[in-house]
Parts: sequence; C-alpha cells; structure tokens
Amino acid sequence: MKFQKTGYHGLYFPELGISLDGYHPKAQQTFVSHAHADHMPRNRATRACATKATLELLKLRGYKGSETVLNFGEKLELPTCTVTLYPAGHILGSAMIYIESDAGTLLYTGDYRTPPSPATEGFESPDSADYLITEATFGLPIYKWKSYEELTKKIQNFALGSLQAGETPIFLAYNLGKAQEIMHLLAPLRHPVMIHGAGYKLCSVYDAHGIDLGNYSAYDRETCEGKILIAPASALSNGFASNVKKTKVAYCSGWAANESRRTQLTVDNLIPISDHLDFFELIDFCKKLNPGKVYITHTPNPAVVQYYLEQENISSTYLEMEAEPED
Amino acid sequence: MTATFLQFCTVVQKIRETRGSNAKIGLFADYLSALETADELNLAAQFIGEGAFSELSGKRASVGSRTSGLAAAEFCEIDYDRVFKPCRTATGSSSETIERLMEHIPAAIKKRSPANLRLDDIQEIAVNLYSASGRDQKKEILHNVWQKMAPIEIKYFIRILGQGSLRIGFETRSVVASIAKAFGRDREAVRYAHMITGSLGKTAVLARENRLDEARFTLFTPLSFMLASPIESRAVENLAQYVAEEKFDGMRAQLHVEGDTIKIFSRDLNDITNSFPDIVEFFSQRELPATVFDGEICVYKDDTILPFQLLQKRMGIKKPGKKVLFQYPVLFIAYDLLYASGKPIFNLKLTERRILLEDLAGTYNIPISSQNSLQNEDDVDTLFNRALEHGNEGLVLKLKESVYEYGQRKKSWLKVKKPGGSFDTIMMYAHAGSGKRGGTYSDFTLGISVKDDERYEEEFIPIGKAYGGYSDDELKRMNSLIKEITVERYGPTLGLLPKLVIEIEFDEVQVNKRTKAGYTLRFPRFRAIRWDLGPDDVDTLSDVEEYYRQSIEKKRLPQHQNPSFIFE
Repeated sequence: MKFQKTGYHGLYFPELGISLDGYHPKAQQTFVSHAHADHMPRNRATRACATKATLELLKLRGYKGSETVLNFGEKLELPTCTVTLYPAGHILGSAMIYIESDAGTLLYTGDYRTPPSPATEGFESPDSADYLITEATFGLPIYKWKSYEELTKKIQNFALGSLQAGETPIFLAYNLGKAQEIMHLLAPLRHPVMIHGAGYKLCSVYDAHGIDLGNYSAYDRETCEGKILIAPASALSNGFASNVKKTKVAYCSGWAANESRRTQLTVDNLIPISDHLDFFELIDFCKKLNPGKVYITHTPNPAVVQYYLEQENISSTYLEMEAEPED
Repeated sequence: MTATFLQFCTVVQKIRETRGSNAKIGLFADYLSALETADELNLAAQFIGEGAFSELSGKRASVGSRTSGLAAAEFCEIDYDRVFKPCRTATGSSSETIERLMEHIPAAIKKRSPANLRLDDIQEIAVNLYSASGRDQKKEILHNVWQKMAPIEIKYFIRILGQGSLRIGFETRSVVASIAKAFGRDREAVRYAHMITGSLGKTAVLARENRLDEARFTLFTPLSFMLASPIESRAVENLAQYVAEEKFDGMRAQLHVEGDTIKIFSRDLNDITNSFPDIVEFFSQRELPATVFDGEICVYKDDTILPFQLLQKRMGIKKPGKKVLFQYPVLFIAYDLLYASGKPIFNLKLTERRILLEDLAGTYNIPISSQNSLQNEDDVDTLFNRALEHGNEGLVLKLKESVYEYGQRKKSWLKVKKPGGSFDTIMMYAHAGSGKRGGTYSDFTLGISVKDDERYEEEFIPIGKAYGGYSDDELKRMNSLIKEITVERYGPTLGLLPKLVIEIEFDEVQVNKRTKAGYTLRFPRFRAIRWDLGPDDVDTLSDVEEYYRQSIEKKRLPQHQNPSFIFE
C-alpha cells in the first residue's frame, strides 16, 4: 500500500485518495485520529472525518474546516476503500483508523493506550492487519507503566496528603487528555478542583460524553488556595497560583518516569502516567496483530523497537516523524 | 547487625524525593538514630556521604559505568549497544537505567530474589570487587550480588561503588547536620570532629557515644581544606575586617612535618610527597617540630613565580628525574598554620594563627605569603593588579576573625580572580546530558577553525568541551536548533553542521599533546551564544597558539619588589 508524508505529521495514500492526520490537496477525505495539535489538520480546506468527540474538541481548539462524524465501529464505504474507527484509549474521542482496500488492510494507530485510559471510550482493535503504522513514543524497555489502580491511588494520595498538610496540590498535566484523566481519577474524592483556562474550555466535551470530572471550575487566582489545581507544566513559570504560599507539585506524564525531570521542573512528585502504551505493551500489541509489515513513527528510538520486532520475525521500518513534545 | 541495605536505600530514595534541606536532614537523622550498632551507624554515614569505602582508605571498587552497564545487559539478557545504550541516553543515568531494566525485563525479574542483604554484606561485596581483577571477575561478582537485590538496591549499590555523592541532593554538610540532629549534638562540634577524623562514619559513632571531643588530629593524616568562595556571590560590608593575600599560580597543598619526616597532600587528600623530593629536602633540613602548613606549591625560578602550566609537567610524575627537578624547581609557600607546638590550632583566629606562622617562618626560614591590610576598594584594586603582574591569579581575602574550617565557609575566605580569556568557537558535537540534565543535549564539544591551516585537512577541530554557563532557556533554544543541524548520530552524541557559534571563556590555555589541536582549555564554560556570528567568525588554531605563547612569555614581575611572599 502506497503512502507518503503530508502536512505537519500526516500521511497521504495516493491510491486511496485519503489522508490521515494531515491535509493533502488531492485527498477526498482526511481522517483525524484525535484532537492533539500534532495530529490536527491545519488547513481550512480539510474535510475532516473523525469521532464526534474529536470533532467537538477540534472545533474548541480552533479547527474551522468541514466535518463528517464517523462513529466507532461504523464502516465508511468509500469508492477506493472501507474505513472503520476503533477506540484508541488515548484521550476522549481518540481512534485508530482501519483501512480495508484491494491493496490489503492497514491499521493506523494514531496515539493509543492499552489498557485504555479510564477517561476514554476504551480500547478495541481489529484482529489482524496486513500493515500496521504504529506510534512508539515510549519505545524503550525503561518505560513500563503501573496499573491504573496503583496510579489512581498515587494521585489520590498525593492530593489528600497535601491537603491534610495544609498545602495546595498542583497537578501538572497537559491541557487535553491528561488533565481530564487526572480529574476523572480524582473525582471520587469530591474535593473542589480548579483547572487552568486552556484545559477548562475542553472539559465540557468530556461532560457531554459522560466522563465524570468531579467538582470542578475554571482556575481563579484569588480563590484557588485549598483546591486541587490542574495546569500545564508551563503555567508555573507564568505565575500560576504563585500567590499561594504552600503548594505541592506533581508532574503527571509518561516522561515523569525519568528521574531527571525532577530537578528540570523542580517538582515534589513525579507521577509516570501516560496516555501512550509502554514498550512492553507495544511489542505485545504488534505480536498479537502479527502484521506483514510494521511502520514505526513518533519515537526518538525506532531502532530498539525494530530490534525487538526482528526477534519476533516481524518486519519493520522507521517512518520518520517527530515525536510530539507533550505526552 | 540487623539494618538492611533495602531500608537504607528506601530512606535514601525518600531523601531524593523530598524538597527542602531541613526535611531531608530530618529523614536521615531519624534513620541514623534508629540504628542499633556502631558498625551500622558507621557504614550508613559512610555510604551516604563517602561511598563503599571511606575517603581516607583511598580504596575504590573500580567498577566503571561500562562494566556495570555490560554486566546489567548480560543479566537482563539484552543487547548492550542496541538496547542498553539508547536507554541510558534517554535517562542520562546508568544506575537509573539499570534499576528500571531490572524492574521491567522478565529475564532479570526471574533471576532476582531479594535476600535482605545487610549493610556489612554490602561492604564485604565492595571489598571483593576491589580485590577482583579484570572486568570479567567484577561482572561475575555483580551478577551474584544482583540476584539478591531489589532494583532500588541495585541502583544505589552502583552509586555507592562510584564513591562520592549519591546525587540525591544531600551533600556532606547535610550528613553532618543529620548526625548532629540524630544524637542531639552541637552541629559545629560534629563538623569539627569530621574535619579531624576525615570520616563521616567515625564522626557519627563519636556523636552517638558523646565522645566528639575525643576526635583527635593525627599528624600525617590529611585534614580537609578550607576553600574560598567567589567574591561575586558575596557582598562584603567591611573590607577592613579582611586581609589580602595573592592567589598563587600554583597547586594547593598541605604539608605535615616532624623532624625529617614529611608528607605532602593534595587538595583531594592524596599523598603527593614522592612527586616533590625538592620540597621534602627543603623541609627535612630545617628540623621542624610537629607542624602542619596549608600553602601552595609553585614553580619558582630566577626570583619569579612561573606559570601553572610548567608545574603541570611535574604533577603526576611519581619520581621526577634530575632534569625535571632542575628545569622546574618548586617552592612550597605557606599561608596558614593548622598544627603547632603539639596541638591543632585551627580553632584560633586567623590573626593568631598568622602570628604563630610568622614566628615559625622566622625561626626556620620558611617562605610565607605576604599579607596586606585593606581599607577600601582601591586597596583591593592595587593589590589585585600587582598580583596579576606577579603572574598570580588574583587575591584571596581572608576574614581576620575567622577560624580554619573545611569547605567553603560563606564570607571567611573570598577569591578575587582575573577574568578568563575567551574564544569564539563552533559547536561540533552535542552530547546527551546526564544527571539532572538527562534527556537533553547539554554537553558540547567546541571547535576552532583550521581551514586555512596546512597542518590539517579538516575545517574545524575540537578545542574543548563545555557544559555550563548557559541558562535553561538558552539550553532549550540550542536544543531545538541542534535538532535541525544534526548530520550524524553516534549513540548519545550528535555530529552537527558548523552553524552555532559559542563564545567560550576559560582560565588558561594548556598544552596537551594527546589532543588533535595540541591544546586544551582549563575550566571552559559558555560566555555567550553568538547567534549573531557564523562559522567564518570562529577563532583559529593560530589564535590559540598565540594566546598560549603570550601567557607563557608574559613578563612576570620578579619578587624583589612588593613580593607576594616573604622568604630570606
């Protein structure tokens, strides 16, 4: 199956006349896996096809092109191929894109997480595919995630421990996805939460899709003390909650697995919670799907994943696209 | 002994994760006070502050990062080059990488069953590693030990083997504070005992048993050195409280003498006596009573202190021959007195120690630094310029009321140094950082231009490596540019297109025949990132040679006028 890079991070399939996660002038239809900026088409002429949640999030993040809703599991018949979206477990609305055509079947993962994030529609995958295009953001065996049960406990304990000590807990988490996931895991505490503006406006989509984000409101500098606060990592250096004397800061990201982040960010706690799958899950997924060929993207270390796939007799190539800066 | 290594590691990790030095000190104090035996206490304090061996022992387990990395790759049954190395580049820490692989890789999990090793077991293993010869023997010992350890034990075990700081943001001064807090002793008393014993373990035991006053100085055992802080970081309120001495262009040393027995120690407390038979002879002729001096070794010829670069030709030579001794004669210039008349005197004030030093120097004819009183900034300027004329590095201002204490002590000693030289260099390679800079490219090989130089075929050749002097924002900006100009990858190192010009600052240019350029820089660091310059603006090897020639041949003011030290 032929494809080429297009747009910022996208792929164009000339035989099928479609593109994934990026605009191409000749594409009849552009499928968008999820609403993170590096997967979002930037051209207004794009005809974006995605899940309802993804399209709603895209609009809130400034997307202005035309839209087609495609529900999970629903087959979209195009003249050249059939496209089905599978829940990717990454963020709300995130989908893996499955293409069936004369040239064979292909699964494009976008960003994915299995076991899925509890603040998503879950994770499902076709049983097989001839080609797999997979992200490998955390493609090193130093990355292995703890269970959501353990992570939830860690996150809740951090919030409760800080509050009990009279300190305001701040979770540093990316605006879309990670922030709402943390809020969802904290929701059972029913403690008031305040979230930084850029993330706040996206929460309504989660509400509408039935994800419980707890007792939350938009960040307000004057009244944020004693609340659980959620903000992107960059907010702290821009004065976020700088009027609150006693705070405790936890950095929530897959990159938090690296001890060096502690001093780079000056935080009290590192909580390695990722919306990508870990190295071991990635290799397992490839084995299970057992495609004829794997294309690896979004990773600084493709060679390590390729080496492991080689051991499993799975042929693979590196498809060079920058790893996204935010997890 | 019941204290397990796992408990120790758990506390160490907790200290690592805690912010605020008082909270850290509290954690370690609680741990120390709960230990049962003196042996446990001794080892715990030593492990956290000094390493697997006490600093005084001079021993090392000699397990390099390649040895432990190869051993770990074998243990985990993964490929060293293809899997281990990329992981280490990502974390920036070999021991952290090993910890995480041990925790994640099924083959490693299967082999390990933690056996509750005790602190004394760890020491015994370190001794075995010390006695083992060759990488294979060491790897075998590591494999056996790791089978009995949890991942966190493995991480800190490797760090302890490396000697020195565990890199948990908990330095010697905090260990000392923890000992004081654990046993309710005066912090200064603990500090003092540590300075004398040179051992955190011994100090902890003395503190617990309320025997700190028994810490006795022994002649021919080195004392930790007192260090000067840069004056830029300290506001000096009243210059008249200070005296000024020239900061000699030499090598710091501590000299212990009694009769014809002499020992000389370097700043890192190594015995360097054999390298300086001329100093030994000088002092043995004088038949001094038991005395300890702090001072500087300088090359001194024709009434002039000669450049440090010449002294380098004598450093590291264990038995200098006649020719070297003749070409580079050295002199030990004393500037402090730590032991005299049968007792340590470092708790006396500087002015009192100075009187004793002057008496001794007069009686036995020993060179001592000139000391000058200060009234105002102008005095500092005059003396500073004179020091530079002598070829010295600048001044040390010493607080008259200060006692002699090891380490940097706030405003007791302040150094005023001449600004370094600078070159415009090209960034040639970027290296993945380690420790707190893990995950970024933070170390850089910088090059000078040789494109018009017939001796070379390259355009640029390396002149030095710098890893400091830039801000976090600058580092970010450089890293994003580096991505664009990378042309080659060698594991953790990136080869770059010649685009980025760095103005680099350094203390000295030194000859180093083993490098391509033939020269290296002393203490290179960033002065500025020259976004405004391009590869054609880079300084050349001839510029470096010229700088070196000038610094060596620069006329140095002889010592017969306004001397920087007093002798004969």
